[in-house]
Amino acid sequence: MTTPPLWLIPAIPLVGFALNGLLGTKLGKSFVSAVGVGAAGLTTVVAYARLIPFVGGNHQPVVEPVASWIALAGLSIDISFRLDPLSALMLSFVTFVAFLIHVYSIGYMHHEATNAGYARFFAYLNLFLFAMLTLVLAESFLLMFVGWEGVGLCSYLLIGYYFEADYAAAAGRKAFVVNRIGDFGFLLGMFGLFAAFGSLNYSEVFWKAAQDPARFAPALGAICLCLFVGAMGKSAQVPLYVWLPDAMAGPTPVSALIHAATMVTAGVYMVARCNVLFRLAPEVMVFVAAIGCFTALFAGIIAVAQNDLKKVLAYSTISQLGYMFLACGVGAFGVGMFHVMTHACFKACLFLGAGSVMHAMSGDLDVRHMGGLRGKLRITYATFLVATLAIAGIPPLAGFFSKDAILSAAFDAPGAGKVLWAVGLATAGLTAFYMFRVVSLTFFGRFRGTAEQAHHIHESPSSMTVPLIVLAFLSIGVGFVGLPPVFGARADLIGPFLAPIFAPIAGHEGAREALPHATEWLLMAVSVAVAASGLMLAWQWYVKQEGRPAERLAAAMPGVYALVAEKFRVDEDYDFLFVRPFNRLSHFLWKVVDVLIIDGILNASAFLVELSGDFLRFVQTGNVRNYALTFFLGLIALLLFVAGAM
Amino acid sequence: MERLIFDAAALVAIVFAGLMVAGRDPIKSVLALAVSFFALAVTYVLLLAPFIAALQIIVYAGAILVLFLFLIMLLNVGPERPDGVRRPVQTFLGSLSVVVFAGLLLGMLRASGARLPGQPEAVAADALPDPKALGRLLFSDYLLHFEAVSVLLLAALVGAFVLARRENAQ
Amino acid sequence: MIGPIPLSHVLLASGALFAIGVAGALLRRNAIQIFLSIELMMNAANLALIGYGAALGTQQGQIIVFFVIAIAAAEASVGLAIFVAIFRHTETIDVNKINLLKW
Repeated sequence: MTTPPLWLIPAIPLVGFALNGLLGTKLGKSFVSAVGVGAAGLTTVVAYARLIPFVGGNHQPVVEPVASWIALAGLSIDISFRLDPLSALMLSFVTFVAFLIHVYSIGYMHHEATNAGYARFFAYLNLFLFAMLTLVLAESFLLMFVGWEGVGLCSYLLIGYYFEADYAAAAGRKAFVVNRIGDFGFLLGMFGLFAAFGSLNYSEVFWKAAQDPARFAPALGAICLCLFVGAMGKSAQVPLYVWLPDAMAGPTPVSALIHAATMVTAGVYMVARCNVLFRLAPEVMVFVAAIGCFTALFAGIIAVAQNDLKKVLAYSTISQLGYMFLACGVGAFGVGMFHVMTHACFKACLFLGAGSVMHAMSGDLDVRHMGGLRGKLRITYATFLVATLAIAGIPPLAGFFSKDAILSAAFDAPGAGKVLWAVGLATAGLTAFYMFRVVSLTFFGRFRGTAEQAHHIHESPSSMTVPLIVLAFLSIGVGFVGLPPVFGARADLIGPFLAPIFAPIAGHEGAREALPHATEWLLMAVSVAVAASGLMLAWQWYVKQEGRPAERLAAAMPGVYALVAEKFRVDEDYDFLFVRPFNRLSHFLWKVVDVLIIDGILNASAFLVELSGDFLRFVQTGNVRNYALTFFLGLIALLLFVAGAM
Repeated sequence: MERLIFDAAALVAIVFAGLMVAGRDPIKSVLALAVSFFALAVTYVLLLAPFIAALQIIVYAGAILVLFLFLIMLLNVGPERPDGVRRPVQTFLGSLSVVVFAGLLLGMLRASGARLPGQPEAVAADALPDPKALGRLLFSDYLLHFEAVSVLLLAALVGAFVLARRENAQ
Repeated sequence: MIGPIPLSHVLLASGALFAIGVAGALLRRNAIQIFLSIELMMNAANLALIGYGAALGTQQGQIIVFFVIAIAAAEASVGLAIFVAIFRHTETIDVNKINLLKW
């Protein structure tokens, strides 16, 4: 059996996009679902047809050129795709999770009023999948950037899917603009790479960097910083995270696919992909770790005081992304990627569960209106609970292993590693607390919504519950590919699989000594204890005492509570610091520079022309003899000129 | 002798040209110009161009000027009457420019001393005035020009017909 | 010298005729006289051409004059046709009264 070419994997959703985008409106919902889901399913099959032999084989990177893209003197870039352990890892869950979310969308978007909207949704989802797969499989920074921008575009389009509503359009615009800042950094980083290495192909750049670290290290600090700014924008890190909570304005499957499982992890993927460069810029690594650590804690704190179910999940996503960058920052790129994978499973499950709840609640997402949904939404409840336990880090679910690996990597890191570990641990407790808070408020206690909502509550159709169940099982099981070393030298599958990507650089610091097993056990016990106490606290406060302690606490510190509930007023500060001055500048440019100066010059010259015309038209007497006289005077002038020359 | 005849003919041409311009009656002007053209034909003969002289009489005096006469009679144009409107600027500038122009021509003529580029031999009297040679030249070296002029004449014919046609005379 | 006739006489006569033509074209109101003046200017030019041609011993002056006469014929026919058309509308050939083409 011949293996399918790599280019087929992104090409299939592109075809799906073209079909749905061009014909979907005319052909009706069933056709659109078939094409959209079919494309996602087919590309998953093709991807796994490549992945299974690859994982079973010797893991040698494969580069498949498709076409020459830019061929200039000194710059030659091909469209070529790369399958190596890193992209294989991304490919494995991106395609599969995307397929599940496509299936889920059939049920979720069923109530969409028009065929056009339905077709648009699936077309964008397919386009997103195409861009994401291009990003993952690209062999050069430039092609990655194409995917990078493509997912940004789809994110914008899908956040603004309900574009009739002002808030959705504004959220889409915000996501786009904030991402532009990051993309600017990415672009600058690429320019720097090209200036330093004369190439944008991964293999060439990384090979050169690893061959001669001393030569490239000075330039790499700035380059990596620029690249990381790009990652910060795409992966919603402080200070560029503000777009992600607003992005929840999009349909829930979009939040699950783009803003939890796949696109937002592109930044982590990119940093992991460039690990050779980042490792040569240790000061940037510290910065990455600091930003990741701070983001994790900061977003975790905000999440505690949010009442919108999807907003909690959004801040949780930001917090978890912070964990991933923390891992990358302390040099544990493989662990970061592991967390990307586990996070994709349980966070997608959580978002889809939230969508299912929203479906039952007639679009209401405020946890204060919910309660006691456990009885009516059995499957949703069960899957949501599993995913919550996973994200909270309760063993033996997926989140436990990846988060524990990150924490122990931080603990193991030199310098401020212990601080990072402590903050990460606190965040883990926070995560357990706020996640179980929303679970308690949503599924336990008594129902607090209106009678009409209560009457309407129903479990979602099977197209929505089946993906939930699958994702819940993944949330349980996927962690076992990365068991910590205490379970035996060969327990960790994913670490050695990714190891060639993160191979040590000659003459540079290599792998550190593994932690002693006793320490490892201790760390594990501490994090489990912290997570469990977070859970118990939430259970105690919100189920047993129906939220009264939390109210008392909020009443005791109204200022602090308001600050957290209002997300530290970061949006307002940005508005004050950047948006409004920029608007004022734009207004100035419009009213003064454009209207007054530019239009003024234009109008003045037009007025002068008109004025001179008003006077000069009297020369046109209509009398032929006047014209003849003028002509003859001209002739005399010419003769005088000739006579003067004689 | 020839010089005297030339000067006399030129004088007649100038005098009648002046009469043409000065007169108020268009018919008299046309007739004055006809006389002027005849006198010019005499000078052409003296300048060794008898063929052109014949053309001058046949085409200019015989055809074009007669066309003018026809037109004047057709339109029944009477002598010009003073319309009582003074146009001082046009009259002053027009007169001035004529005087300046005449002075300029005279000055240039004097300054050049009627010099010719190179000093030609005196031409044998029977070499130049041969219409046969002229015709040969026209139909060989200047054939293209000749044909172009014939097309021009045809266009003028059609144009004149279209312009002068009554619009309802379909 | 053309035989016994000096070139300067020819040019003088030509210039005088041309100046008279200019004066007529600029100062008369009657369209027909203006037209005649233009014809006169062409003849003045013809005279100069023939004079120079004879003085230089070439027939090219005469050739040019030949073409000038042909063009004059074409011009006269078209011009006079225009007069007929104008006269039909305005009942006059006084150019001062034909001034519709103004501001």
